[in-house]
Amino acid sequence: MIKFEDVGKKYPNGFEGLKHVNLEIEQGEFVAIIGLSGAGKSTLIRTINRMHDVTTGKLTVDDVDVMSLSGKQLRRFRRKIGMIFQSFNLITRTTVIKNVLTALVPDMPWYRSVFGIYTKEEKLQALECLDKVGILDKAFVRADQLSGGQQQRVALARTLAQNPAIILADEPVAALDPVTANQVMGDFKRINEDMNISILINIHHVDLALKYATRVIGIRAGEIVYDGPSAEVTQEVLTNIYNGRVDAEGNVQEEEE
Amino acid sequence: MNKRIEEAYEKRPRNWVYNTCIAVITLALILWSCSAVEATGAADGSGVIASNIIKGLLTPDLDFLFDFSTSGVPYLMLETICIAFLGTIVGAIISIPLAFVSAANLVPKPIAFIGRMLLMAIRTIPAFVYGLMFIRVTGPGAFAGLLTMGVCSIGMITKMYTEAIEDLDVSVIESLDAAGCNTWQKIFYGILPQLMPNFASTAIYRFDINLRDATILGLVGAGGFGAPLIFAMNAYRWNEAGAILVGLIVLILIIEYISTRIRTKLTRG
Amino acid sequence: MSIYDKIFKPHVYTLPNGKSVEKKASRGPVYAIIILAMCYLSVQITGFDMAVLAQRMGEFFVILGDMFRAPKFEFMENVWGPIFDTIKMSLLGSLIGSLLSVPFAMLASTNICPNKIVVSIVRLFFSIVRTIPTIVTALVATLIVGFGTLAGTISIAIFSFAYIGKLTYEEIETVDMGAFEAMEAMGSSRPMAFISAVVPQVLPFFLSNCLFNFEGNVRYAAVLGYVGAGGIGIILNERIGWRDYPSVGMILIALFVTVFIIESISRYFRKKLV
Repeated sequence: MIKFEDVGKKYPNGFEGLKHVNLEIEQGEFVAIIGLSGAGKSTLIRTINRMHDVTTGKLTVDDVDVMSLSGKQLRRFRRKIGMIFQSFNLITRTTVIKNVLTALVPDMPWYRSVFGIYTKEEKLQALECLDKVGILDKAFVRADQLSGGQQQRVALARTLAQNPAIILADEPVAALDPVTANQVMGDFKRINEDMNISILINIHHVDLALKYATRVIGIRAGEIVYDGPSAEVTQEVLTNIYNGRVDAEGNVQEEEE
Repeated sequence: MNKRIEEAYEKRPRNWVYNTCIAVITLALILWSCSAVEATGAADGSGVIASNIIKGLLTPDLDFLFDFSTSGVPYLMLETICIAFLGTIVGAIISIPLAFVSAANLVPKPIAFIGRMLLMAIRTIPAFVYGLMFIRVTGPGAFAGLLTMGVCSIGMITKMYTEAIEDLDVSVIESLDAAGCNTWQKIFYGILPQLMPNFASTAIYRFDINLRDATILGLVGAGGFGAPLIFAMNAYRWNEAGAILVGLIVLILIIEYISTRIRTKLTRG
Repeated sequence: MSIYDKIFKPHVYTLPNGKSVEKKASRGPVYAIIILAMCYLSVQITGFDMAVLAQRMGEFFVILGDMFRAPKFEFMENVWGPIFDTIKMSLLGSLIGSLLSVPFAMLASTNICPNKIVVSIVRLFFSIVRTIPTIVTALVATLIVGFGTLAGTISIAIFSFAYIGKLTYEEIETVDMGAFEAMEAMGSSRPMAFISAVVPQVLPFFLSNCLFNFEGNVRYAAVLGYVGAGGIGIILNERIGWRDYPSVGMILIALFVTVFIIESISRYFRKKLV
C-alpha cells in the first residue's frame, strides 16, 4: 500500500511541485494520473521510489517511510518498484536480452556484473519476461533496431525481471502512435490483472486513461482535484482538472510553452 | 519451464570462439609490444635531469618571451602562424582536384582506388623528408616550411573533401535538373553551396593541426619556432625552451578557441 | 544587433502590399579582406615566391627520383627490426595512454562528475597536454630515460592520453542518460549503473578511437626516431644523413606497406564496432 500523508514538495527554486497530497493506493490497483504538463504528475510518481525527495509530510510504501531510507536500504527498496519512462531508457547499443538482464545486476556479485556474465537461469528468466510481453523472438536483436512500441515492451520486460510489487510509468505511451499505445496499455492491464502488480501511470491521453485504468487521479498545480473510479469521470471533472482547456472528446489543448 | 523459452535460449548467438580469438590475439600483441621497451639509460641520475627540466620549463625566460624584436618569441609565433596559414592554403588548393579524382561517386572505381593509394603514399612520407626535399628547392627557411606543411596537409584535407563530395545531397541537383539548369548552373547553384562550408571548415581545422605540428619543421631548419626550440633543448637551455612552449600553448589555445567557434558557425549556418 | 549591422545598414525589401523584410549586410567582404591581408602578411614574412617555385620545382623530384628509381631491396633486412620496434612502441604507447585517459575523461564529463571546478581543471589539463608537441616530449624523454624505444613509447602514451581523453569525455557527454536513470530507479548503485548503462554506449566509440589513434601513431612514430626515440626514424635519419637515397626509398616503401596493412585491419574492426 502506498500512502501519502499531507505530502508537499518544494523545489530549490521555490516552485511548489506538490501541495498537501493525501492518497492511499491499495496493492493491485491500476491508477491513471492526469493533468496538464507541469501540474505535478511526474513529481508525484517520482517521489514514490524517491527519484525525487518530498519536503513535507509523510510518504510510506508498505509501512516503510520512504524519506528515512538511504544508500543500500534505498536501493533494496527500489528493487520492489519498477519504473517505465517516456523515452524507454534502454541501452540502445546492446541486445534486447542484455537490456532485460540489467534488471538483475543489483542482485549479482560485483565481479559478474562488471564483466556482464549471466548464468543460464538468469537468461531463461529474462527470456520468460520477454515472452510475457510477446517479443520473445526479438531477444537477440539490438534494441535500437526495434520500433517504439517494441522498445517500450522491452522496458516493460526489464521491469518485470526485477519482480516488482508496484510499477510506476511516466508517460509510457506519449512517444507512441495510437494503435501501439493501445497495445502497450493492454500489456499494462494484463500484467496488472494477472500478477496483481499495482500500476501508477502518468498519461496525457484521457481516452486511454478512462479505458484501461480503474481509478483516476486528477492533479492541477500540485493539488489533487479529483480522485475516484474512472467510470465516474465526467466532462465537468475534466474541465476542472484541465483548467477548462479540454473539449467534449477529451482532447486537451496544451498551453504553449 | 516453457518449451518455447528453452528453444529461444538454444537459438542464442554463440560467438565465444570469435571473442576468445580476438582476446587472445590482443593479449599476445600487447605482450609482444612490451618486448620492445629498451633504453640506454641516461648518462647521470635521471631524477636530477628531470627536476632540472621541470624547473627550467616552469621558470620561462621572460625577457625572451616578451622580446618583440625579430628574435623574440612573439615574432617566432607570428612566423609560425604565417607558415601554417599559407601552408594550409597551398594544401587546400592542391587537395581540391585530388579530392574530385578520388571521390567514388564521381570517377570509376579503379581510378578512385589509385587516387586513394597515392594519397596514402603522400601521407606516409614523414614531414622531415619533405622538408629536406623542399630545402633543395628554396633553401632553408620559412618558404620551405610552408611548402612542407602544404604537402603534409594534402592527405587529411583530401580525405575530408572526398567524404564531403561523397555525401553530396544529389536530390538538389535533381531538382535543378527539373528546373532546366545546365551543367555549370548545377555546379554553381547545386554543388558549390553544399561544399563550401565543409571545405572551409576542414581548412580551418587543418590550420589548427598545422600550428601544432610546426615543431617538426624545426628539425630540418624550415622556419618557425621549431628550430630555436630544439636548439634550446639540445643545449639544455630549459628556460628558453619553456618560454617558447608557453608562447606556443597560449597561441594554440587561442587559435583553437577561435577556430572551433568559426567552425560551429559554418556548420550551423 | 551587432556593431557591424549598425555600420552597414541592412537592406530592406518592401513588397507591393507594404510588408517588408530585412536582409543583413553580407559579412563576405570583411572575411575576404581579412584573408587577403593574412595572405599578404604571410607572403612577406615567409618569402613565398612563385618564380622560385616554378624555376626550381624540378629539384624536388631529384631526391624523390633517387629514392624510388631503384630502391635498394637488399636493405630490407635492416628494416625489419626497426619497423617492428615502431609498431611495438606505437601499440604499447597507445594502449597505456588510452587506458590512463579513462578516469580523467570521466572526471571531465559534466554528466558523471558533478563538480564544475574539477571538470574545467581536467579539461584544461587535457588541452595543455595536447598542445605540447610530441617531438618535445620525445626529446625530454630521451634525456631522462636515454635513447631507445622507451622514450618513444612514453611520448606516444602522453599524446594518446590527451587525444583519446578529449574524444572520450566528449563521447560520454553525448551519452543518453535515460538508461542510467532507469538503472538507478531499479536500485543500482551509481558505479554499477555507470558500468551497465554508460559503458556499453561509449565502449564501441572508445575502441574505435583507440584504433584510429594507433594507426596515426604508427605513422607519427617514424618522426620520433629523428630525436633518438627509437624505431624506424633512427635508420631513416641515418640514411638521409649519408645521402643513401635508395635505402631511404626502401624504408619508405616498407613503412607504406606496414601502414597500409595496419590501416586495413583497423578499418575493418572500426566498421564492425560502430
